[in-house]
Amino acid sequence: MALSETAFLSCRDLRKTFGATVRALDGVSVDIAPGEFFTLLGPSGCGKTTLLRTIAGFERQDSGTILLGGQPLDGLPPYRRPVNTVFQSYAVFPHMTVAQNVAFGLEMQRLPRPEIHARVEAMLALVRLAGLGARKPNQLSGGQQQRVALARALANTPKVLLLDEPLSALDLKLRNEMRLELKRLQAETGITFIFVTHDQHEALTMSDRVAVMRDGRILQIGTPAEIYERPAFRFVADFIGEANLLDATRIAPNRFRLAGGAELDTAEDGPETATLAIRPERATISPDGTIPGTVEQIVYDGADTTYHVALAGGATLRVRETNRAGLAIRAQLGAAIRVTIDPAAIRVLAE
Amino acid sequence: MLLAPSTVIVGAVLIAPLGMLLAISLLQRNPNGGVIWGSFSLDAYTGFLFERGFSGERELNWDYVSIFARSVGLAGIATITSFVIALPTALWMAFQPPQRRLLLVFLVTLPFWTNLLVRNYAWILLLRADGLIEQLLHALGLLDGRMGIIYTPTATAIGLTYSFLPFMLLPIYLSLEKLDRRLIEAAFDLGASRWRTLARIILPLCMPGILGGVILVFIPGLGAFISPELLGGGKTMMVGNLIQAQFGYGRNWPFGAALAFVLLVLVLAATYLHRIRFRPAS
Repeated sequence: MALSETAFLSCRDLRKTFGATVRALDGVSVDIAPGEFFTLLGPSGCGKTTLLRTIAGFERQDSGTILLGGQPLDGLPPYRRPVNTVFQSYAVFPHMTVAQNVAFGLEMQRLPRPEIHARVEAMLALVRLAGLGARKPNQLSGGQQQRVALARALANTPKVLLLDEPLSALDLKLRNEMRLELKRLQAETGITFIFVTHDQHEALTMSDRVAVMRDGRILQIGTPAEIYERPAFRFVADFIGEANLLDATRIAPNRFRLAGGAELDTAEDGPETATLAIRPERATISPDGTIPGTVEQIVYDGADTTYHVALAGGATLRVRETNRAGLAIRAQLGAAIRVTIDPAAIRVLAE
Repeated sequence: MLLAPSTVIVGAVLIAPLGMLLAISLLQRNPNGGVIWGSFSLDAYTGFLFERGFSGERELNWDYVSIFARSVGLAGIATITSFVIALPTALWMAFQPPQRRLLLVFLVTLPFWTNLLVRNYAWILLLRADGLIEQLLHALGLLDGRMGIIYTPTATAIGLTYSFLPFMLLPIYLSLEKLDRRLIEAAFDLGASRWRTLARIILPLCMPGILGGVILVFIPGLGAFISPELLGGGKTMMVGNLIQAQFGYGRNWPFGAALAFVLLVLVLAATYLHRIRFRPAS
């Protein structure tokens, strides 16, 4: 990956080891553009939170450098970095009112009283908590506390806002609401957001770009559509959304044979032995399909139905059909059917 | 019904002795020690403020009040010095790795394995003329002649601070250990330096521990009698010594009981005022 000279926040070859063996960051390089909503996505222990905490200054990297607007941040304590953090547990100061929480960072900058007051009011309005400034945090709901944490972190107009799984403690309905809220806040403030999550749905719906991490490394960086449609690794295909991963052998250019004997045309070519990654919604049950199989399970999910199709070689292919025709079922349990897959929908992976 | 056992225990070990103390304070003293049962007298209480002149008239006597005031002063000094020592120590302890924290807490409680009396005698060896501290200062050339600390109120204050330091340290340490580290990180993140984080976040959130420590040092400090006796040389009398004397060689049980009761009422009043001042937000 080329490191651009104009990147706003630039991490170069960051390494960090905990204890003797745990490689939390194993050579992480990433460039983030100004005003970007950038997401670090990965399972727990992949190093995404360590990367965020290193940018914030809570952890110090063993080697590598972090540049913000061309200036190195290395060695600066957290309170000297022009970045602010929204913590997973909110970390709202329990002994202060909402307004005092939001004012805290401004007081640390020693701004004049009237300016602090005006800014606190503006921030509370921005996160839709106007009028609740006198409340104590324990009088607020989880979602409201989250908004206080956001207002507090945004009050200092940071160059970068770091969000550490901010939605994971909220219930589903609030989470969906806050997702839109975060997008709106980012658009209104124009501040660069770096968002850490293990929830691929959050990553896809909110981000301008996503970096998928595993074992202290960034595997792939791209727009949500690129990451979803063109995963570069088996892990990425599997972690993001749902994917059928089928082992296959190349029998001709752009033609692969599955373990059970069925042959598939693909838009892209690959090595002799490859993994074919196919999204369930890109496969269809069709009488003139090339892949024969038996329906072994039907999972009805309202908007769509997923058919688990047993293939000849022992593999299972999941086929997702949208339920456009009401109660109509595309195939009965145990029925022998055929599946067709658009060659362009098949990702050929080397792994 | 489930509360019955605890009611019995509280009644037996707390209320009954206090009741006996109150009863004794309202009896006449027996000049040979003990009290005259069945008598009644308020002498013990009037004796706190007044004494009888030669002709039997009452005269105000500030002696006992000044002993109370001195006790409050010395206990106050011990409270402040132990807080000044305990706070940085507890902060340092709370930020050690968990295994080491356990060891440090053990070390803090280690002195309790030895009798307080013995430990105060040890301080005599340290503070006395030509004692260890003086010898050290002489060897370092920082002092010639005498420190002159032993058998002064200063020595009493040192002894009190030493005796009650763990009672200040442990509650502060416990509240620091419970403190959510993310709050400290959040303060740093928002631009607060170490000092401002301490003043604005750590101290306010540890106030329950600090107040607990203050109560645990100040109140026993008021009634302490070992340090003033041994290190103060018995010259700086505190309430504790005074009460002890009434039950011992003074042979005035009612007055001793009355003094103890006055002290109890003062402490309860102070605690009550404090609760009104720091009423937790509902």
